[in-house]
Amino acid sequence: MIGPTSAAAKAGELIRAGARLVWIFAERMDSDIILHYVVEDDRLHDLAGPMLGLTRALTPRVPAADWYEREIAERFHVAFVDFPEHRPLTNVVPAEELRAVSSPEASTVLYGPVRSGIVESARWIVETAGEDFIDVHPSMFFKHRGLEERFKTASIELAPFVAEHASGATASSHAAAFSRAAERAMGIEVPDRARATRAVLVELERIHQHLDSLAHLADDASLSVGSAQLFAAKERIHRILCDATGNRYARGVICVGGTRFDALDPLRETCGRDLEQAEHHARTSMHRLINTQSFMDRLIGTGRIPHEKVVQLGGVGPVARGSGVACDVRTRDGYLFTPLAAEEALEHNGDATARTLVRVAEIQRSFQLVRSTLDANPTGAHLAAFESKDGAAIARVESPQGELLYFVRIENGALARVAVRSASYANWPLFVPSLPGNIFTDFSFIEHSFGAIQSEVDR
Amino acid sequence: MSWIAYGLRGGILTTHYPHGDDAMPPDYRGEIEVVGANREHARRAAASCLSRAIAVENDLHVDVLRCFQCGECARIAPDVFQNRNHFELARLSEAPKTTIDALRERTRAFGRSVHIRHVDAGSDGSEEQELTAIFNPFYDANRLGVFLTASPRHADLLMVSGVVTRPMEEPLRRTYAAMPEPKTVIALGTSACSGGIFIGSQDVVGPVSAVIPVDVLIPGMPPSPLTILHGIWAALGRVLTRSASQ
Repeated sequence: MIGPTSAAAKAGELIRAGARLVWIFAERMDSDIILHYVVEDDRLHDLAGPMLGLTRALTPRVPAADWYEREIAERFHVAFVDFPEHRPLTNVVPAEELRAVSSPEASTVLYGPVRSGIVESARWIVETAGEDFIDVHPSMFFKHRGLEERFKTASIELAPFVAEHASGATASSHAAAFSRAAERAMGIEVPDRARATRAVLVELERIHQHLDSLAHLADDASLSVGSAQLFAAKERIHRILCDATGNRYARGVICVGGTRFDALDPLRETCGRDLEQAEHHARTSMHRLINTQSFMDRLIGTGRIPHEKVVQLGGVGPVARGSGVACDVRTRDGYLFTPLAAEEALEHNGDATARTLVRVAEIQRSFQLVRSTLDANPTGAHLAAFESKDGAAIARVESPQGELLYFVRIENGALARVAVRSASYANWPLFVPSLPGNIFTDFSFIEHSFGAIQSEVDR
Repeated sequence: MSWIAYGLRGGILTTHYPHGDDAMPPDYRGEIEVVGANREHARRAAASCLSRAIAVENDLHVDVLRCFQCGECARIAPDVFQNRNHFELARLSEAPKTTIDALRERTRAFGRSVHIRHVDAGSDGSEEQELTAIFNPFYDANRLGVFLTASPRHADLLMVSGVVTRPMEEPLRRTYAAMPEPKTVIALGTSACSGGIFIGSQDVVGPVSAVIPVDVLIPGMPPSPLTILHGIWAALGRVLTRSASQ
């Protein structure tokens, strides 16, 4: 722990020297509020210090701090000095207060929280002059369920189930990130067999989530057969997971210390039987998709985010990689099992096309990773026995949406604080600059090219 | 080769359910069955149930509407609890009491086509993906006359996923009010049915039934597409389901 304002100052210093702001979060300890500034240069730093009366906001100099500082200010009822004026981030504003617009020619459209189709609830306040987007303000946290609080009344053994509720569709990533943080906090060494199992589950999850994004994009372009085939390929992955783990999203497998049961043999068996067919289905339909000119025409130039914007606002995952920003956690961090070769799937146009091509490349690579990890088949136990020990740690996993971080503090054998920084949360601020210059009918293309999950944003 | 030719070459993938049989894999964690009576073991398992679905005193049973299918009880006390791969888990509401005949009567006007409006009241995001999946070629809900609609004005069924958070209470009420009569409400997923692990949380109002009247409950975290088809079929008065208390 470092002194009062020096945590923020030190973070600012590192960022000026080229480090990336990853996350800011707060925890209450006795009567103090402790701020954690997480920055990364050649390694991850967690700079923590108590928040006293005068903590200067980082946002004016580091735009990536915006959402983090707003959330802390609203949830912990504190104020940062020099903080820019904003609409509230986490408190839902009544609709009638949102009608103000920046120019008399523009009108405001409230899009959400209940929207058409099968979508998660979120609201977009769209300023428009007919067809074109002038500005857009996200209004979220309609789905805030108090997830981080829920951890406090769960035991360490059962807490991964709570993490799986953060985002049920990417349950393995959340359970793995939480478990890794808890393991680091307690100094637990996880057996290779469990690490391999986790790696396979997270890669299969990446495949089904990327296919979901591609299938939605095909649907947006009214490409019914393409969408149906991509959803069918996604279904094949869920069936493999269900056969091997008893749940279509592999929930209830990953736990602190390893996995709850040995899932590697069942995975080897079901993948040996069905993975090739699933891969063939996925590969042929997505190649057909990116070679369908009428489809690609809708994506080219749509929702473009320049490289500098991604760096400035702290984007992650396929969204950042579509703008040429290398950020794959799998290439660093002593990853789950076999680390990815250093090169990442990068594209440089920064539009919906680029993000789609990144996903197509990642799906293929994930199939290879699943296969090579299953072939490695490390022997030994699937679970390390442990005794709970006090401590705190941060861990991260490359979820399908990108870099996912968990902070875990264990006190007297119980979870005193769990904080989540999801990839979808880090990426929503990028949605705002991606819209102006596009028209209304581009909205769903841009949204689905982000592939965000609202429940992991709102928690 | 065109997309249509490519689609046709893949052959037919679609299940016959609910007109014919289908099954989940043998190890699917669908429902917990009580197979023993050892209270000591049952108590130990109940202590590890995050959604407090296990009642040990008096009548030993597992509340399927609270169970989020983690399978922990069957691992801790296999002599008392066993996983079953059942997927026909939908239940009719007990309060207010719904019967299959009443649902059939109510939906008679819809003929062979029913339109669903979905609202997310605070889901974990997987319920939406499973609901989307019932329209994929493996399940093809369209063959049953089940369609999605973008407007509550055109909706016959309201499908609500997730535990209802405080900010979503009002939008949910308004969507319900905007639907024409007769209307049927389905709670999708364990959190929507009972609140799941969020029962008692300060940030949530409660299960869907705390806000609007619910007719059919589809438990599961998330419910599988077959389970969702079962629930929709029940909402149309087509299959007999157990009521919530059974």
